[in-house]
Amino acid sequence: MHIVEFQEPVQIEFRNITKLYGAVAAVNDLSLAVRRGEFLTILGPSGSGKTTTLMLLAGFVAPSKGDILIGGKSVAAVPSYRRDQGIVFQSYALFPHLTVRRNLEFPLEMRGMKPAERIKRVERILERVHLNDFGDRMPSQLSGGQQQRVALARALIADPPILLLDEPLGALDRSLREQMQVELKVLHKEFAITTVCVTHDQDEALTLSDRIVVMRDGRIEQIDAPEMLYDRPATRFVAKFLGEANILENPGFEIESDMVQPSGTVAMLRPERICVAPPASPKRADSHQRQSVIGTVADMIYAGPLRKYHVRVGSTPFVVREHVAAGQPVFRAGDEVRLEWLRSDVRFVSA
Amino acid sequence: MSIPQKLSLKPVGLAVPAFAILLAVFGIPMIRLFLTSLDAPAFSLANYEAFFRQGANVRVLFQTIEVSLVVTAICVIIGYPTAYLMASAPKNLRTALIVLVVIPYLTSLLVRTYAWIVILGDRGMVNNVLLELGLISSPLPLIYNRMAVYVGMVQIMLPLMILPLVTVMVSIDRSLVAAARSMGAQPSAAFWRVFFPLSLPGVRSGSLLVFVLCLGFYITPAALGGLRDAMLSTFIAAQVETSFNMARTATSAFILLGIAAVMLAIFGLDLAGTQGRAVRPMPESSWKPVRLLSAIKRFSNELAASYRAKRWNAKLYQASNIRRRTIARAVFVVSVMLFLLLPSVVVVIMSFSAGEFLTFPPPGISLKWYRSFFDDPSWTGAALTSVEIGVAVTILSTIVGTLAAYGLNRTSPKLRSILTLLLLAPITLPSIVVGISAYLGLLSFGLIGTKTGIALTHSLGAIAYVVVIVSATLASFDRRLEQAAMSMRAGPLQTFKRVTLPLIRPGIMGGALFAFLHSFDEVVKTSLVSGLSIRTLPLKMWENIRHEIDPTIAAVASLLVLLPVLWLAAIYVTWWRSRPSAEHALPDAAA
Ligand SMILES: Nc1ncnc2c1ncn2[C@@H]1O[C@H](COP(=O)(O)OP(=O)(O)OP(=O)(O)O)[C@@H](O)[C@H]1O
Ligand SMILES: [Mg+2]
Repeated sequence: MHIVEFQEPVQIEFRNITKLYGAVAAVNDLSLAVRRGEFLTILGPSGSGKTTTLMLLAGFVAPSKGDILIGGKSVAAVPSYRRDQGIVFQSYALFPHLTVRRNLEFPLEMRGMKPAERIKRVERILERVHLNDFGDRMPSQLSGGQQQRVALARALIADPPILLLDEPLGALDRSLREQMQVELKVLHKEFAITTVCVTHDQDEALTLSDRIVVMRDGRIEQIDAPEMLYDRPATRFVAKFLGEANILENPGFEIESDMVQPSGTVAMLRPERICVAPPASPKRADSHQRQSVIGTVADMIYAGPLRKYHVRVGSTPFVVREHVAAGQPVFRAGDEVRLEWLRSDVRFVSA
Repeated sequence: MSIPQKLSLKPVGLAVPAFAILLAVFGIPMIRLFLTSLDAPAFSLANYEAFFRQGANVRVLFQTIEVSLVVTAICVIIGYPTAYLMASAPKNLRTALIVLVVIPYLTSLLVRTYAWIVILGDRGMVNNVLLELGLISSPLPLIYNRMAVYVGMVQIMLPLMILPLVTVMVSIDRSLVAAARSMGAQPSAAFWRVFFPLSLPGVRSGSLLVFVLCLGFYITPAALGGLRDAMLSTFIAAQVETSFNMARTATSAFILLGIAAVMLAIFGLDLAGTQGRAVRPMPESSWKPVRLLSAIKRFSNELAASYRAKRWNAKLYQASNIRRRTIARAVFVVSVMLFLLLPSVVVVIMSFSAGEFLTFPPPGISLKWYRSFFDDPSWTGAALTSVEIGVAVTILSTIVGTLAAYGLNRTSPKLRSILTLLLLAPITLPSIVVGISAYLGLLSFGLIGTKTGIALTHSLGAIAYVVVIVSATLASFDRRLEQAAMSMRAGPLQTFKRVTLPLIRPGIMGGALFAFLHSFDEVVKTSLVSGLSIRTLPLKMWENIRHEIDPTIAAVASLLVLLPVLWLAAIYVTWWRSRPSAEHALPDAAA
């Protein structure tokens, strides 16, 4: 993760942006600042307003209220074709009637670049995305991954200061997606380009981003660096949306913590922070820092390198995840187990 | 805030030229006609009462509805199985069959009507063949009666039934039928319970189209029917010719319009809800026989279950049964295609006749009718006039119609559907009605009897065709391609020129084709607005068909048969040219 310096100036700013569709607020009073060179990801469930936010920035949708500033200037009156942004669309939007080369030349042509210079640039970027031999093909003759790289190349070729990505890897299969994540990260660093990316995919968001915005019903739920977001979610929604979470609401036992539980919050524990042990196993040396409870295994799911237990403590369900290791005891449904965790791992999230 | 708002207002503005023409030539005169029929400003229904008091009027009215209903029914009966077999055919064969259906559809209506005179006439094809075979001793009265009207109209309307049916049927998921069969439904039950209900939207839109267009038929019944087979359009035309009584004509026109509007309102207005309603099971009562039948079949099926394994073996050797059915199906489809293509073929053969009269098969072969066409300045002059008008109409309506379609495509769906409906009125409403209002409209601009006036009149329909076809192309156009272009600093005009236009070009070409063919085949409206001073080719042909039938018209007609074929070829070439690099790049990719 390359950390964006605090000194970097703000490049994009949303000021109290609201977008209404009829009575529905697709984006509701949203304020946000993105620094130069930052990779910001917008994450959220379907219908939370991610695409709308991106389209507002791109200028394809006009805000109902509020203002957007790019480089400190309002762009309310700037149409999309003067905003100087590279955009990668979810379906790539490659021009089907033009070859890869002509697709890549398009943004250069629109900026009035001379043919000789255009050809040079196209060759350079084709090389950069490993598509040297594909310049004369039509988009329909490329695989999904190749199309994706052409779309990325086309967005970057004119060196725009801002890159917008709408679910850029959504259409790729898993292994290709991971490969492209690495590629995207390298390109982002290389071009030092301010990037705003919309995605459904948590892994993608966690791997790529400097900061993640979690959206819900057109509002920002939390905005933070990936580690912070996962480790210290502010709300129950964020905790459940990013990874799995045990929400301990009236668990039937007292939750021990080093902190005082603020009012209006519930305790939250990540499944991988909990250990499973036989009920009578000896106490650990650091047991005074831990809390332990006795429960019954309801179910065990074996998932490759992981084992996932569903355990009931009284009426409270727990999910526990542990890495499979040699010599570890395996519990079956009905077994009695002891769950334990470090007090410092308990988080309080607003309900 | 004001700039985006202005931007969002802009698209509808592109439809302004189309609406300007529509209103000036058609809309405003229509309103005037309507007011006249109501005796405005006194406002009374006297004219309508007078219309219904006359027995002859009512008879013609019912006759019009009857003929339209019968033609629609025949089209469903022939069209449904044809479409079914076409939809089940392998893709290449299906495409070929669709082309065979489209070609007669694009062929001049006058030509096809004329062909039936050649086929059904006293010395025409059918009678001559029967006489030759000694089956009859004197010619049968095959023409100038109701039967001939049905034959001619069905041939003209059948493509309009088959095409929507095929579209709907192709989109029906065949695995649903397979699923029904896996649940024990016999093939026939699977068809009636699953496939048929799903295909009803196609039946409905096809029937509606055919029925409404039949209501306005003029040429074919007038040419093939007897004196007693007049339809309302013919009747109105006669009224106009003998004594142009505005109020009476307007009243008849609005009664005709009223029937069309009522049909559209009953069956057409909830077209949007078609899909949902079609899937709903039919009312119980109408399904009882079928259900009972399938229940009996299923029961006997159960009984037979133990024998089935053995029978399977036997079935493998029962291929001859299946082959017989395949042959029967092929014969059916081929007959329908022959019926559709027969007029064109007959006309082309006829044009090479060496005989003096309309005798089929021709007594010998010669080019004299082509010579007679090219040597007669009244024919060539008419052809030239038609080409001139056709080109003007094509250019005007392709530009105006494409702009309108583009603008409407970017408008809210509600406004879009209302405005589109208005633009389509000139091709949905009976031509005689459109013709009369165009006559009134042009009269106020002093354009009666001018080429400009005729071109404007033709543009009404031509714009409608362009709007329909270009809108369909735009509906499948990915708007994100335009956004992509804009994000690369292409302004709206650049985006349209470099991205949108190349991608919708096939649709525009198709629209241009329809615009030209529409203009090149128009008789009814043209005869009203030409003021007897301008002869277009169709007017001259129509005159010929009615008065002196000599085979020169066959030469003209066979040239007209070529027209749609040439256009289709041109469209195919542009379409193919638009992706040449795709063809070229493949070998590279392999290398
Ligand atoms: N053009 C539109 N007209 C009306 N409502 C719209 C329009 N575009 C979006 N909406 C509504 O605005 C809300 C936010 O939509 P948006 O597309 O931004 O969500 P999203 O977060 O991108 O969802 P997804 O993950 O499913 O793509 C939704 O309720 C949607 O129905
Ligand atoms: Mg979205």
